[in-house]
Amino acid sequence: MSGIDECLLEAMRLPGARGAALVEWVSGLALGVVGEAPGGDHEVMAAEAAEFARGAAEMPVFTGPGGPAAEQEPADAKALPVEDVIVVARTGYHLLRFLEAPYEGGVFLHLWLDRGQANLALSLMRMRDLAERLVLE
Amino acid sequence: MSPHVPSMLVRLAERGATGALIRDTGALYLADGAVVHAESPAAPGIDVLLTADGRLPSEQWREAMDAAGPHCRIARYLLDHGRLSGAELEIRHLSALYDAAYFVLAPDGGPSRFRHGAVHWFGRVRPVGVADVERESRRRRRYLTDLWPHAHLDAVPPVRRRHAARLPPVPRRQQDVLDLADGRHTPALIAAKLGRPAFHTLVDIRRLAASGHLETRTSPPPGPGHAEAAGPGAVAAGAPRGAAVRRLPFPFPDTAEDVDVVVLRRLRDALEAHL
Repeated sequence: MSGIDECLLEAMRLPGARGAALVEWVSGLALGVVGEAPGGDHEVMAAEAAEFARGAAEMPVFTGPGGPAAEQEPADAKALPVEDVIVVARTGYHLLRFLEAPYEGGVFLHLWLDRGQANLALSLMRMRDLAERLVLE
Repeated sequence: MSPHVPSMLVRLAERGATGALIRDTGALYLADGAVVHAESPAAPGIDVLLTADGRLPSEQWREAMDAAGPHCRIARYLLDHGRLSGAELEIRHLSALYDAAYFVLAPDGGPSRFRHGAVHWFGRVRPVGVADVERESRRRRRYLTDLWPHAHLDAVPPVRRRHAARLPPVPRRQQDVLDLADGRHTPALIAAKLGRPAFHTLVDIRRLAASGHLETRTSPPPGPGHAEAAGPGAVAAGAPRGAAVRRLPFPFPDTAEDVDVVVLRRLRDALEAHL
């Protein structure tokens, strides 16, 4: 995979895919976007998804019994406390997949799918694969 | 943003200019009218951001600098030698670019001049439109204001609040910033120490001030007469948490929500000097 756009275009090949984005959640910056955005504005979608992702990645209730990563084993310190966030909306699915690179900016893939056409399990597996290859290849 | 900078950038973009837009707050590099890099004294450089968290060992960075720096092709070198994937290089470079650009395009960034033909040594990764960079910088400014509308916090060393120990704990990222909030480290210095984009540190500082962990009405940098009290030697290593706070007493009542602290403090110093 050569870059952000190739990754997003590959995500868009999933059945029911409507839009995809790569977002830095601390700043709300959309690093790349393809396809549609709910409401038509990719910037707003990125900022709102970033806020949601931040909640999932930082709130103790989601980050597990061990507490934040800092309190765990040193080898585990960079491991993600939360890997995916799935939102099942009335008409669509939103999948957020955090990137595993030891990256202080915090980046996630966001895929918006049509609920009538999408296969949630397949999409989730493909997103994991994409997020992994994004930083390895 | 000063009114002439956007129009100047738009003109340069329309002309497909190549070179560097230089201001007091940093530089924006254009190639064929698109933004290819940005750097600012207020933001850690791409070298810091790539090496700080160990993603790229310093030796590998130095090796890339030596081999490809003189040809302004470091990005290409890192890719060709498999140091980073194409996507990761784009992610990290864009993050650094927008981070520095935010400071370069600051409303009070001073006059701008353009150095035609200047090329940045990192090399081209993923050029961004001038309009995108300006829009993102404006969005970031609004974002900080929405979090906690106290822009002076972006420049002064953050100070912990005395009774913050009773507050609920903060997420790890914010705790890292809080640990360095000793009244001496500026936000830029904290970002450099943590190897994080500077804007991210500003976000954390605004959040920490909003939640009451940091002082919102922090003292300005020490002026004459305060140098001793707030000087680096005044805060001993391992001093209790409240020590730095006590040394920087805030002389104004809590009700003064919107006063310009710096002006007031200078005024007081000037009055005292005449007593």
